[in-house]
Amino acid sequence: MKNQAFRILIGRLGRALSVSFWVMVISFAIMRIIPGDPASARLGAGVELEAIEELRKTLNLNGSIFSQFTNYVMDLLQGDLGTSLQTSRTVIDIVSSTLPLTLYLIISSTFFALLLSIPISTSIAWYAKAPIVYAFRGITAVILATPNFFIAMVGILIFTVRVNWAPVFGYDPQFPQNFKFLWLPILVNTLIMTSVISRVLFSSVTETKEEEFVETGIIRGVGRRRFFWFYILKPSMAPTVVLLSYMMGTMLGATVILETIFSLPGIGRELVNAVLTSDYPMVQGILLIFGVITVFLSFTGDVIAYLLDRRVKI
Amino acid sequence: MKLKTRWANFKDWIALPGGFGIFSGLTMLVIIIILGIIIPNFGPYKSDAFVGEPFAAPSLKHPFGLDQLGRDLMTRTFSSVGVDLGVAFLGVSLPLVIGTVIGIVLGLAKNKYVLSLVGSLIDGINAFPLLIIAVAMLTFLGSGLKSIVIILAITNWARYARISRTRAVVVSKQNYIEAAKTLGYSKKRIILKHMTPNVSSETVAYALSDFILVIIIISGLSFLGLGAQPPTAEWGSMIADGRAFLTESAGLILFPGLALCWSAVALSFIVEGISRRDRGI
Repeated sequence: MKNQAFRILIGRLGRALSVSFWVMVISFAIMRIIPGDPASARLGAGVELEAIEELRKTLNLNGSIFSQFTNYVMDLLQGDLGTSLQTSRTVIDIVSSTLPLTLYLIISSTFFALLLSIPISTSIAWYAKAPIVYAFRGITAVILATPNFFIAMVGILIFTVRVNWAPVFGYDPQFPQNFKFLWLPILVNTLIMTSVISRVLFSSVTETKEEEFVETGIIRGVGRRRFFWFYILKPSMAPTVVLLSYMMGTMLGATVILETIFSLPGIGRELVNAVLTSDYPMVQGILLIFGVITVFLSFTGDVIAYLLDRRVKI
Repeated sequence: MKLKTRWANFKDWIALPGGFGIFSGLTMLVIIIILGIIIPNFGPYKSDAFVGEPFAAPSLKHPFGLDQLGRDLMTRTFSSVGVDLGVAFLGVSLPLVIGTVIGIVLGLAKNKYVLSLVGSLIDGINAFPLLIIAVAMLTFLGSGLKSIVIILAITNWARYARISRTRAVVVSKQNYIEAAKTLGYSKKRIILKHMTPNVSSETVAYALSDFILVIIIISGLSFLGLGAQPPTAEWGSMIADGRAFLTESAGLILFPGLALCWSAVALSFIVEGISRRDRGI
């Protein structure tokens, strides 16, 4: 039994690694599959050939596609993601200075969302009063169908324009002061995350409720707290954890918009700036980082779900 | 025995699981599509015509007021319906067709190398959040709605292909496929007449919920300035324009935002209704 679990986890790790390889290939290919020469496209017409040649060299666009790829992989293995064309800082440097803020945003909103959705969805699912269930479904459906930038803009309209509680410009990285700039984006993210998580948790608690061991637990008179954590919540958590890891990846995408709105110096805003200034190495590097983080998240989510509930297929 | 009237039939249909959701979603969708056809085409104003003072408050002549350049906000809000829903329709149906076909082919393929190669390519594409890969590709394709449709076609098919492949493997083991093979039908006929309808029921269901996501992606990219270009009226870019004038007029953001919500909520009611009807709860 133990052996089998080990084999399954190793198999899942192998898949994560092979997907990471493809993530690398896609980040490499993205600059090359589009017709036309990116170097001359960036420099525009009427530039000397030497300048174009120079840029082609920086972008690793010379030689056969195979040798380009080997160069790319060799650089990656040495931790070299290239140099920004705009600021001439290395991509790794920019990523490591901007990524922590983005992760902070995502992790704290996930934490608050879990804190909110566990009591909300278990109590709604346990008592299953029809009007409340309908209201819950309706409200979460509306929140999920609303784009995050609109929720954010409404938040700004209320908290920045009406009462000046959340400044939208500037940022202070010091700990207690930064919360003044961060609370509204975290709130927006939390609202969306809570709706997603509580919907899934709601339906899995509804399913768990029908299981025979729950009835057994009631008959055996298991203590309230133990009943809630081990009989209801633990078996219902597996689908939620899988979804959570997927949602954190999606949130990574969503922060691109949130950071732009709230002008927070995170990796998402860096990506938008890079796109607007055609900073190819930055785009390529950030894309790779995003892809690898997502693969890692979904791997972790699957493993945790499997450890929680061995019936889960990963 | 008295025949049931149409109205009684309709009432029965509504009472089935999810009936109310499907009905209200469809009604909401039809309302906004009709308004989106009538107001920009037969209304008194053009969406990019300057008709008065900037930031004019809502009045009888201009129910939503005027925007920062003095254009009629109501006309602009509703002329986005065609842009957003139309582009989203293309952005969903192209990947749907491509992905379903590739998935069926994969489901029937026997070559192990091709299978694992394409399979992991699909996993690789799906590893990226859709918005991120779209933003990154826009760098090289150039901004615009046309680029967004192209990007959705070359990236989003992978999600459909995964669903379609799983389904195709299941379907190909069914008895009716065996029966068709025994009857000596050609491979083409089996794929087109027997596999495709059964596989696509699943991918089309996913496409409906994907439609909401794609609308949000299109408007989100336009919000970032990477999608619709001025003077095209589009909800995301209208909201982005309104950001600079929050203190002058909240309507610049609220009207396009509410229209966007309205359409997405309509679709999500339909999706939820259909899925509840399928599960019968």
